Amino acid sequence: MREAATTANTAPSRLRSLRWRLLGAVCAAVLLLWLLTGWLSYTQAQHEAEELMDGNLAQTGRLLLAILHDNEDDLRELAGRLATVRGAAHDIYEPPLEFQIGRGDGTILARSENAPHLPVLGVAGYSDILRTDASWRVLNVMSDDGRFRVQVAQSIALRDRAALEVAGQTVLPLALLAPVLILLIYLSVLRALRPLDRLAGEVTARSPDNLAALPDQDVPTEALPLVDAINRLFQRVARTLDNERRFTADAAHELRTPLAALKVHTQVARLCREDVQRDHALQQIECGVDRATRLVEQLLRLARLDPLNSLPTPGAVDLRGLVEDAIEAVYQANPGAPRRITHALQTDTPAVAGDPDLLQIALRNLLDNALRYTPPQASIEVKLDDDGSALSLAVCDDGPGVPPDTLARLGERFFRGGDSSVEGSGLGLAIVTRIMALHGGRLALTNRPQGGFRAALCGLRRAAAR
Amino acid sequence: MRILLVEDDLLLGDGIRAGLALAGYAVDWVHNGEQALAAQAGHCYDACVLDLGLPGKDGIAVLQELRRRGDLTPVLVLTARDTQADKIGGLDAGADDYLTKPFDLAELQARMRALLRRAGGQAQPVLSHRDVTLDPASKRVTCGGRDMALSAREFALLQELMRHPQHIRSRSQLEESLYAWGEETGSNTVEVYIHHLRKKLGADFIRTVRGLGYQLGEGR
Repeated sequence: MREAATTANTAPSRLRSLRWRLLGAVCAAVLLLWLLTGWLSYTQAQHEAEELMDGNLAQTGRLLLAILHDNEDDLRELAGRLATVRGAAHDIYEPPLEFQIGRGDGTILARSENAPHLPVLGVAGYSDILRTDASWRVLNVMSDDGRFRVQVAQSIALRDRAALEVAGQTVLPLALLAPVLILLIYLSVLRALRPLDRLAGEVTARSPDNLAALPDQDVPTEALPLVDAINRLFQRVARTLDNERRFTADAAHELRTPLAALKVHTQVARLCREDVQRDHALQQIECGVDRATRLVEQLLRLARLDPLNSLPTPGAVDLRGLVEDAIEAVYQANPGAPRRITHALQTDTPAVAGDPDLLQIALRNLLDNALRYTPPQASIEVKLDDDGSALSLAVCDDGPGVPPDTLARLGERFFRGGDSSVEGSGLGLAIVTRIMALHGGRLALTNRPQGGFRAALCGLRRAAAR
Repeated sequence: MRILLVEDDLLLGDGIRAGLALAGYAVDWVHNGEQALAAQAGHCYDACVLDLGLPGKDGIAVLQELRRRGDLTPVLVLTARDTQADKIGGLDAGADDYLTKPFDLAELQARMRALLRRAGGQAQPVLSHRDVTLDPASKRVTCGGRDMALSAREFALLQELMRHPQHIRSRSQLEESLYAWGEETGSNTVEVYIHHLRKKLGADFIRTVRGLGYQLGEGR
């Protein structure tokens, strides 16, 4: 499984690597350009070589004509003498001179040994004679008075070789420079991407708890947005980690106090000699166990809610039933409390979309707070507000309200406002806040202008009509 | 001996008070920092047990305020946080000792004894005067090598006198060290306990200094 993942990772990594893509693209472009330049230089050089050799032919032809003019009688010797300056058969720099000299009527007066057997009466000018055994480039010229004709020829095979040689010499340095060019490109790409490697190295070498921001000097402009995003992510993760750490520390703190109380009371019970004192200690132990149990339950509830991204069992919730059940549950949890919670929800109250169990927990926590933190004679009422798009379920009392500095911190985990003689874990409102977040709503805590406190589950959406 | 307990948790506070009372201390219990400072200003306590996690003014702030006033009462700090920084912070703020929750009652009692011993400037854990010895840890009193049976109040009163053999303690001072707030005191209870102690340890073991109070008899 792991191996498969690794190979799957490496195979496309070259394709995805910025370095390899950059190298590939630049090299391909350079090679294409280089090939084009090479081909153009090659054909250009070939063409120039051919023109030069044509010029050579013309010069030779005219030279022969000029010589003929005054040496008509010594033509046989001339052919013999010319044979000595004919050059070598395969030397492209001194190609052999092949010629025929004739009169205006076409009779051959003299010719070189290897000259092609062609009539000297052909049209004046250049022509290519293509034959299977040997092809020739031929130039026919005629004297001004028309008495003599001269035909010079060069072997096309030899001419081609010469052109090839010249063109090759032009292209060779280009070909030799290509690897150097590619090496240079490779090195510059490597150098340009080095800051990214450094960055990656820095992130890799980090210990998991090092969430300090990455340095953003020496970072290429293109990578800055990424570094900024990473640094912002680091900040968020650090905040989350910080919250988690604080939560764990607070949870330990909150658990340690009841545990310490349990231990002390147990030891008191063992040490004391009077029954009354022992009974009191045992009773306190029972209270302590209840309290630790409640705290653990709430911690677990919060721990289960925290990782959720959506509601576990969404459905349509009948608000009136929910409110009545919650009120009953709160009375049961606080036996002896006066029955002072009322509600004004009608039977035709619309259903809302949500998780019935979670909403019930949220409402119960609010009612429980209202019951415990208001004087016994204060009245508590559950109200439904409908602003058309969303519904709010509010628990209102006419008690003393909450001081502003306390109000700002309510809902913080383990923060306990008000009377420290009232027992509580400091997690109730944190749980409500989380439940409302899962419902896409929020918990609104305000002092009412006419006095008293209002805690509302806001932003509940109507259930889709069935 | 009278001890101030500062603890906001009702359950834990009740337990500590009961535990310290079992060890013979008179314990006054307050629930927050402001009350603690007020109590400390009004009485002279032999020691203070201070929880750091208090609502409102926290334990460290209370401690700093006490020390700023020049109050030298030995303070034992209770904390639920056990990181080194928390411990160091508590000690540097002026605490004499600390305990991490949850703790053992016996350890709390032993630390209180040590704290009081140091505050009284004595090295020996066992107090002695003439042929009478008093061991605060085992609650044993011997006279001429024989174990004496004393009630808790008698023991506390004797301990109070033996801590400073030369000091003269007034009746009200002794009363204060025996009873916490709200405990009923008879008008002549101190006299009654003194009478009992004289019967058990010898009539001249405790001297009455007319108009001032009581003092241990001179050493022989």
